[in-house]
Amino acid sequence: MKRTWLYTLLTVMVVAALLLAACGQQEPAPAEAPEEPAVEEPAEEPAEEPAEEPAEEPAAPKIVTFAWTQEPDTLNYFYTNMWYASGLMELFACSAWLWDDTNTAYPVLAKEIPSIENGGVSADGLTITINLVEDATWSDGTPITSADFLFTYDMIMDDANAVDSKYPYDYLTSMEAPDDYTVVMNFEEVFTPWMTGFFERQILPKHILEPVYQAEGSIESAAWNNAPTVGCGPFVFDEWESGSFVSFVRNDNYWGDLAKLDKLVFQFVPDDAAQTAAVISGDVDVAFWPPYEDIPAFREAGLVIVDQASGYTEHWNFNLRPDTASPAMQDLVVRKAIAMGLDRESLTDIRLNVVKVTETFWDALPAYVSPDLVPYEYDPVAAAQLLEDNGYIDSDGDGIREDLDGNPLVFTHCATNKEERVSVQAVAQQNLLAIGIDLQTNAMDGDILFESYSNGGPPAVGECDIMEWSDCPDFPDPDAYYWLCSEIPSDESPFGANYFICDEYLDGLFQKQLVTVDAEERKAIFHEITQYMYDNLIVLGIWDDPDTWILNPSITGATFSGVTPFYNIAEWDLTQ
Amino acid sequence: MTRYIIRRILQAIPLLFIISVMIFMLLRSSGDPIAVMGGRRTTRAEDRERLTRLLGLDQPMHIQYITWLIGNDWRLVDVDGDGIPETPGVRKGALRGDFGDSLMKRGVPALDIIVERLPNTIVLMIPAEIIILAVSLAIGIYSALKQYSLVDQLVTAGSFFGYSMPIFFIALASMYIFAVNFRKWGLPYLPTVGMFDPKVGKTASQVALHMVLPIFSMSVISISGYSRYIRSEMLEVISQDYIRTAYAKGLSERMVLVGHALKNAALPFVTLVGIDVPLLLGGAVVTETIFAWPGMGRLFIDHLGRNDTPVVMGILMMISIAVVFSQLLVDIVYAWLDPRIRYT
Repeated sequence: MKRTWLYTLLTVMVVAALLLAACGQQEPAPAEAPEEPAVEEPAEEPAEEPAEEPAEEPAAPKIVTFAWTQEPDTLNYFYTNMWYASGLMELFACSAWLWDDTNTAYPVLAKEIPSIENGGVSADGLTITINLVEDATWSDGTPITSADFLFTYDMIMDDANAVDSKYPYDYLTSMEAPDDYTVVMNFEEVFTPWMTGFFERQILPKHILEPVYQAEGSIESAAWNNAPTVGCGPFVFDEWESGSFVSFVRNDNYWGDLAKLDKLVFQFVPDDAAQTAAVISGDVDVAFWPPYEDIPAFREAGLVIVDQASGYTEHWNFNLRPDTASPAMQDLVVRKAIAMGLDRESLTDIRLNVVKVTETFWDALPAYVSPDLVPYEYDPVAAAQLLEDNGYIDSDGDGIREDLDGNPLVFTHCATNKEERVSVQAVAQQNLLAIGIDLQTNAMDGDILFESYSNGGPPAVGECDIMEWSDCPDFPDPDAYYWLCSEIPSDESPFGANYFICDEYLDGLFQKQLVTVDAEERKAIFHEITQYMYDNLIVLGIWDDPDTWILNPSITGATFSGVTPFYNIAEWDLTQ
Repeated sequence: MTRYIIRRILQAIPLLFIISVMIFMLLRSSGDPIAVMGGRRTTRAEDRERLTRLLGLDQPMHIQYITWLIGNDWRLVDVDGDGIPETPGVRKGALRGDFGDSLMKRGVPALDIIVERLPNTIVLMIPAEIIILAVSLAIGIYSALKQYSLVDQLVTAGSFFGYSMPIFFIALASMYIFAVNFRKWGLPYLPTVGMFDPKVGKTASQVALHMVLPIFSMSVISISGYSRYIRSEMLEVISQDYIRTAYAKGLSERMVLVGHALKNAALPFVTLVGIDVPLLLGGAVVTETIFAWPGMGRLFIDHLGRNDTPVVMGILMMISIAVVFSQLLVDIVYAWLDPRIRYT
């Protein structure tokens, strides 16, 4: 009896756990729609019952669940830079245009993409006119008009709203709405990357937010920002359970083709391993950005893997600022030796060879890359010889070369502490040691790495000789502002993003492309830019960085865009 | 005792003030919230400058702290960046219950964000703590009474194993065994992640089902540690003379254990639990992250990663207040357990 209570307690706990597990065997609402007969079932009522029409079994709702690593901070596009927030826009919001799976723009709210040919872009490039479709409506039936576009612009520009970025709306001198279905944007100077910046993710509903603005002087605290119950996409916002999920249901008032799915659930699963487990077990149907080492497990589980170019490349940036760069790093010979001494093909093993080596910042936009680039091949012998021939000799026998002044070739490599970057640092350290260069590695949290100049961010203040991260131009536009001399951080301009070089020639090319209206001329300028940056090794490509999606094979019709991922969400369907 | 309690409460005020200053300085020195607003795109210099000004992050540290503490609705602030403060502030300050708006979820009060997640943590942590305490006591007492028996040896080995395992290993291993592989093998299985299945809804059975693996993961390590602690305390107590005397007087084993031995062995255990209870409010960071449980632990780490000072301050101050008052409660319980303890 003395032991009975202990055994009883333990037994009860075990039984309870098993019972709960047995309850868990209940399948949730099936992702696949069961086959429903096209005709009514033959009546099987007992003889005494009067004949009556048998009720048709309702079809199970078609619900797709996504594993979303980060919970969005908001559902108002202008208050976020999170990919995990902006990536949801195509579901419930609408825009002037979207991009398809070839990253080509097509009109949505606009009747056609403005161009010089159709008169949408003036010959001098200073006026862009968007003609809107006239049958688009919000989910509550209110027509979408140019007033919504104008309202969106006004809200972005109003400091009271403290949006995350006014770019590129602050390039406009004015915006007009001459009628309900025409939007005119006026520029002081030509601004060629307009298509990737204006009205390309979300329009704000004036009839919902203007009353809030008038009452509070700002839309920052509007409930709509986190519960956009009125939208204009193929789905509408349904529910947001903090920390758990956000869901969207089909917009039955959608002015375009109705979605085939009934509901989308984005479940927040922050841990990579848990995300993998969830998608393999079938608890979720779609995962994004999985750990690359799990790709064999996904293949084994019969899941579909989709890679989509999104413009991002992992690359090394060299610090060439004369006030902070080491003299050796400023020597092109040393940078060439680094390029030849680094086995970049072997680095792709870190990503299980599902990525390829890149040569420029614009490899995802090959039309803008100079066709004359010759890749730097891995050749440690030639690299060592190059250093030797130029006076970089290991005079003290410690395995590290010194320059003519006796300074050792020691460089600091800075990156975030993401696991694959730490692996790159380890491999690179070995590669460069073999040619007599000592690579000191420094991996840190992103909020420290990207600290501003005034707060002593290591790249900003020039403490790093080599900086590694993944980034992209204004994809699918090639514009980039990193190498503008005006972006060099200083006491007067502490938030500048150019940690690399102020080169007057390069600066001039970047400024020129921004105001070049002719597409072919602009491409030619970028050929010049890429060739110049390549020849002078201002940037060294490591690998391309596509978006990777994992899908349950029961999902059909799904394709992705690297710009607006869920551009064709209305066409997604579920089959058995 | 009443004077003691009042004195402790009054002592807590400057203590909490010092804690708030230290935490605030640490948080504001640990990274720039604007730097991580860039997401996949770096924030432009002009946007960074504008946001730094609009969010009050350009102010000196002591001004930012004062604003956090007592608000700024009593003065004018510069919103448009012309250097002239002409707009009335809107913040009331922590002392008036306004912990500010989240820097991450703009426009949403930090307190609202915390209050939204707190019940999820309580739902998970309190049952976990009850299970941990109950099982630890049971195992610890039994092991002490049956010292060196086969069961005691097995429990000891199991405790060493469980205590050595990192929590993330236990969590992931249990997920892969009971959720992924059990399903693959056609056995009854448990869900992998979340507090409930969104397709089914937030029902009591769903939440209970999803709690099993997180509670199991947290319990293994804690039970392993606490049961050893209880065992060693019990062994020390049951070898005392007064226990032998109690047996000699003819008291039943149950009476001796519960009425005498456990009460004395529990004193240090109460201290441990007293430290544990307020920390329950902070959730379990690793467990919640792995199992995607929407609790305070995940909230803390998500917002700390984004340098969201208002929310992180709110969480830490809440835990600090809970720790201070739970220690007071522990002292009161001590006095109840041990009549020899008197406070003046």
